[in-house]
Amino acid sequence: MPLRDPRTGFARLSGLVAPINERVLWYIAAVVLTIGGFTLHLVVTPLRTAQADLIFMVPAILVTGALGGLGPGLLATALCIVLDLLSPTTPTAYFGSHLATAGAFGVIGIGIALFGERLRFARMNAAARTQDLLSREAHLQSLLATVPEAVVIIDENGVIQSFSSSAERLFGYSAAEVIGQNVRILMPSPEREAHDGYIRRYLQTGQRHIIGIGRVAVGERKDGATFPIDLSIAEIISGGQRYFTGYVRDLTEHQETQQRLEQMQSELVHISRLTAMGEMASALAHELNQPLSAIANYLTGSRRLLTDASEENLRLVRTAIDTAVEQSLRAGQIIRRLRDFVAHREPEKRIESLRKLIEEASALALVGAKELGIRVRLRFEPAIDRVIVDKVQIQQVMLNLMRNAIEAMETSDRRELSVTTAIGPEGAALIEVADTGCGISSEMADQLFLPFATTKVHGMGIGLSISRTIIEGHEGRIWAEPNPGGGTAFRFTLQALVDEELGDVG
Amino acid sequence: MSADPVVHVIDDDEAVRRSLDFLLQSAHFKTRTYENALAFLNALPDIPSGCVVTDVKMPEMSGVELLRHLRHKNLRMPVIIITGHADVPMAVEAMKSGAADFLEKPFDDEVLLTAVRSALASAEDVSQREIERTELQQRFATLSKREREVLQGLVAGKPNKTIAFDLGISPRTVEIYRANVMTKMRAVSLSELVRMTLIAGFPTEQGTETRPVM
Repeated sequence: MPLRDPRTGFARLSGLVAPINERVLWYIAAVVLTIGGFTLHLVVTPLRTAQADLIFMVPAILVTGALGGLGPGLLATALCIVLDLLSPTTPTAYFGSHLATAGAFGVIGIGIALFGERLRFARMNAAARTQDLLSREAHLQSLLATVPEAVVIIDENGVIQSFSSSAERLFGYSAAEVIGQNVRILMPSPEREAHDGYIRRYLQTGQRHIIGIGRVAVGERKDGATFPIDLSIAEIISGGQRYFTGYVRDLTEHQETQQRLEQMQSELVHISRLTAMGEMASALAHELNQPLSAIANYLTGSRRLLTDASEENLRLVRTAIDTAVEQSLRAGQIIRRLRDFVAHREPEKRIESLRKLIEEASALALVGAKELGIRVRLRFEPAIDRVIVDKVQIQQVMLNLMRNAIEAMETSDRRELSVTTAIGPEGAALIEVADTGCGISSEMADQLFLPFATTKVHGMGIGLSISRTIIEGHEGRIWAEPNPGGGTAFRFTLQALVDEELGDVG
Repeated sequence: MSADPVVHVIDDDEAVRRSLDFLLQSAHFKTRTYENALAFLNALPDIPSGCVVTDVKMPEMSGVELLRHLRHKNLRMPVIIITGHADVPMAVEAMKSGAADFLEKPFDDEVLLTAVRSALASAEDVSQREIERTELQQRFATLSKREREVLQGLVAGKPNKTIAFDLGISPRTVEIYRANVMTKMRAVSLSELVRMTLIAGFPTEQGTETRPVM
């Protein structure tokens, strides 16, 4: 058989090597079997007595034609006829009928050869199809082995049918160990006990809880360790059987990334607190200087009075010392607030009193405000006070908004800062910080909460952006509106705790 | 010195106000306290004499504004200004407006009491001031030309780098001149140096002679 296309590459070529050799063998077989048949005929039947019989050639034609295909079949047929006709023993009297027999024999031979050829094609097709199937299967296996998701196939009784190599790595079981086992060994309690029920419920009701939806679940490794997974399930019906394919993705790494992100965010929030305090350093220094000056005055005055230790003077000194102590406590309190505010700590949400939180934040934020002649008004709605928040973070937002308000009013004639709490939409706590300052230009209004957007000479433009991050981290919302009396009102919401919920918490 | 000189203390911080009151009384001064400049001005018609000790940073009217207001009304009552956070421009402005003295909180009692005594004295007798001024002028005379130039820059509230640039010398050199000036003038702080400069009537950078305080 000639090569049909020499350019089809090595793969094809090597695939053809075996058939070529086989074909050559069949041609050789055609010659050998035919000559063998003829020789047998010569041995068995004395040719002088009887005319040559083509019967002896039939096996050769049948074998080579049926199994070897068209070429070897035709070769054998032609060879038989030639040998028969050329046979020296053939009596000349019978030549006519002999020729007719040979003709008929030839037709049968050609028929067998054609039939054999068809058979050969069918055989080749079947072989190619098998090859195809095998390579497709190999593809599928390599896919299953390399997808990052672990693939586990179970039947409708929950028995594991297939367990991919990623699944082996993820769960620590080998496929051989788990195939035939119930899939519940891959999950911790209480899922482990409930899983059969889940399948039964689905088969009965057809209600999908996870199939095609997916959810985050927990898996259990062979060593008993549990880990978060993202699980999606597909349903397949194959050969009248129902199977479920589970795709399992390990979420450990995902959660670590998430955690790292949160860590960095809290870092940033902390740094911006430090920055805020840095910007207030001069005002804070002044605030600390006041009690220190008072203490110095009381002590030096006392020293002076003690040169004449009269009863009256001692009484005065005692009072002075009491007041000096009070003042040193005042200084200490400022420092403690400052330290609490800048301390590096894990964010932690607790039930806090909104009123107390705001009052404390104001104490820091309003440092220096009195000297600027700013009138401050704090109004609290008594019906809404309990919030679940990270206190320092919300105080940071308050401080940010109040310092902004104070700065905005530096050049205004009217300087009123009002902080109000109210009941917001859906029972949330609404906190408003309103000033009578210069207001916000329309071009700034759009990018108010974007990082690095600032109108201040000394400002990074991160205060409001951080405030938004914090409020959104508390599932609240923050926005700005023009204050009806001139200036700006910043508002934000926080989830409030109503009394019934409080009872639950204890 | 009149028989009963009164020291009028004005500070919006109650603790500081009361402590000043206590300190002055311990030194046997008669005192009256006011929580802001307006309260003092309201009481002014009934005030016969004395001196004023006032904080700078106060709502509505600052210490320096009060001082200008008094001078505007031609009241020569001496005013001592105290501040929690002194900066040079503020000190210069206060002294130019005619403050008797400019003190940074917290201060040693003697510094305040001396200032009050000399302020009360100066209301009747200028000789005490004159003696101080003469002494300061003698100290100024010991300064070199470069040192005077650096001092002018400092009094104008310029940072070292700017002074260095203006004079065409390195900031390091300015630091050395600055240290020399402080030593020669026996000044503890920059604000004290500014106070001395203004009391002595040392020429400021603009070439205008600062008005000697009465």
